Amino acid sequence: MAGQVARQPVVEGGARTPVGTVHVVDPHPLNWLFITWNTMEEPVRTDERGNIVGACMEDSWWEGSTLVVKVREGVRFQDGEPLTARSIKRSFEEVQKWRAPHPPGTYLNFHPDTRVVCPDDYTVRFEFPEPDGLALAKFRGFHIASTRFWEEEGFGYRKYGTGEGHW
Amino acid sequence: MIFRNDVDPAEALGLVCDTEGEIDIVTEVSPADAGRVEDSEHANLVAIDAMRVVSGLVNRNSAPLDDVRVRKALNLAVDRDRLIREVFSGYAHPVAAMAPPYSWESPDDLEPYPHDPEEGKRLLSEAGWQPDRALRLAATGDVEAVARHLAEDFREALGIEVRIVVIPDEDLVAAQRALVEKNLPVPFDVLVHAWFDLAAGYPPAVIHREYFHSGGAFRVGPVLQQFEDLMGRSVVETDPKKLGEIGKQLDKLVYDEALNVFLCCPQALVAVNRHVDFTGHAATLELAETEVGEGHWSRRNGA
Repeated sequence: MAGQVARQPVVEGGARTPVGTVHVVDPHPLNWLFITWNTMEEPVRTDERGNIVGACMEDSWWEGSTLVVKVREGVRFQDGEPLTARSIKRSFEEVQKWRAPHPPGTYLNFHPDTRVVCPDDYTVRFEFPEPDGLALAKFRGFHIASTRFWEEEGFGYRKYGTGEGHW
Repeated sequence: MIFRNDVDPAEALGLVCDTEGEIDIVTEVSPADAGRVEDSEHANLVAIDAMRVVSGLVNRNSAPLDDVRVRKALNLAVDRDRLIREVFSGYAHPVAAMAPPYSWESPDDLEPYPHDPEEGKRLLSEAGWQPDRALRLAATGDVEAVARHLAEDFREALGIEVRIVVIPDEDLVAAQRALVEKNLPVPFDVLVHAWFDLAAGYPPAVIHREYFHSGGAFRVGPVLQQFEDLMGRSVVETDPKKLGEIGKQLDKLVYDEALNVFLCCPQALVAVNRHVDFTGHAATLELAETEVGEGHWSRRNGA
């Protein structure tokens, strides 16, 4: 076994400057999903042990059957657009159009009667008809995209005319 | 970060082990190749306790496998330590039921079924297993070695005949459709099957549900009302602690009913260039924390 690498120190403010290039070969059958997860935003991600942790979601709590999400400030998409509560609402509404958008199955769907409200730029209220115990797990497959993504590409919507089976 | 999907995995493994500057990370290293990575001057092996599980999916639709005694006998026949040692080169953990032992839905007091051939034979006899009844054991190519090992265990421990059917890759889609659509009887008693948890927030939603729930793609047998009730409680439970408790109850129920032949949780093995600091993740391939040191090929010219 070869030696270990010293991690780059964190500079003041917690930011790090990207350096270097890494070439990855990933023959896993879910490579397409891993690329998606490494290039798009989601409210949550998983830590090393597989536990859900916040990503563009900074915090969340339940108020009855409503899940309140505080959006992390300062996040930007690759095209420079700031990620706000409205980005999350737009992404939610885009995917809710389809009956079976998720490739792994409809168990990742949110209730079709869910209402999403943005009281301010960094708060989203998911008003579910009933509590959704799997909401945070579903958030892992809830991809948040910029306005330009939805207007120009979507998940192949323009090409295929549908989002069924591929978000 | 560049995904090189144009490089054959075997070639990639050679490049990460024997060279620098071409490939930095190769995932899905087989246990058989782990030693090559460990011996490499250029690469490190990262073994991840992954949210993956390999089990024998039991066809409970008809006798004799609709009898829990038969299913328990199959579980008692398995020598999990030998399976892990010989098929996975040690890169796997035994599992009591379907929740990986390091997941928070794994019941603390649940141990894997012991390797107990005598008790297995007794249960099989009590259930009325006919001596001329051969067990039909199916597998896909990726887990064929597991099936062959399992067949040996069933023959030696229980004294039954086992017929192995390996599903050719060209027939895989048709076989998957038959399993998921459930319109035709499936031609196996036990199917060796590998699966994983993706969402991670609640493994039973992805693992247990898929195998045993009324809406589960891999369910091959009648619906269990107790399972349905627990899963029904899960989907409206927003308290993580209570949700975890329901998950443990689901795993215990699956264990008590011996709904599958429980085998092991394979580790995910990744070959990583020695100048790359890669953090393995249990549920997915995450690269956000990956860094390269100053000796990495991409930084040698002062980049």
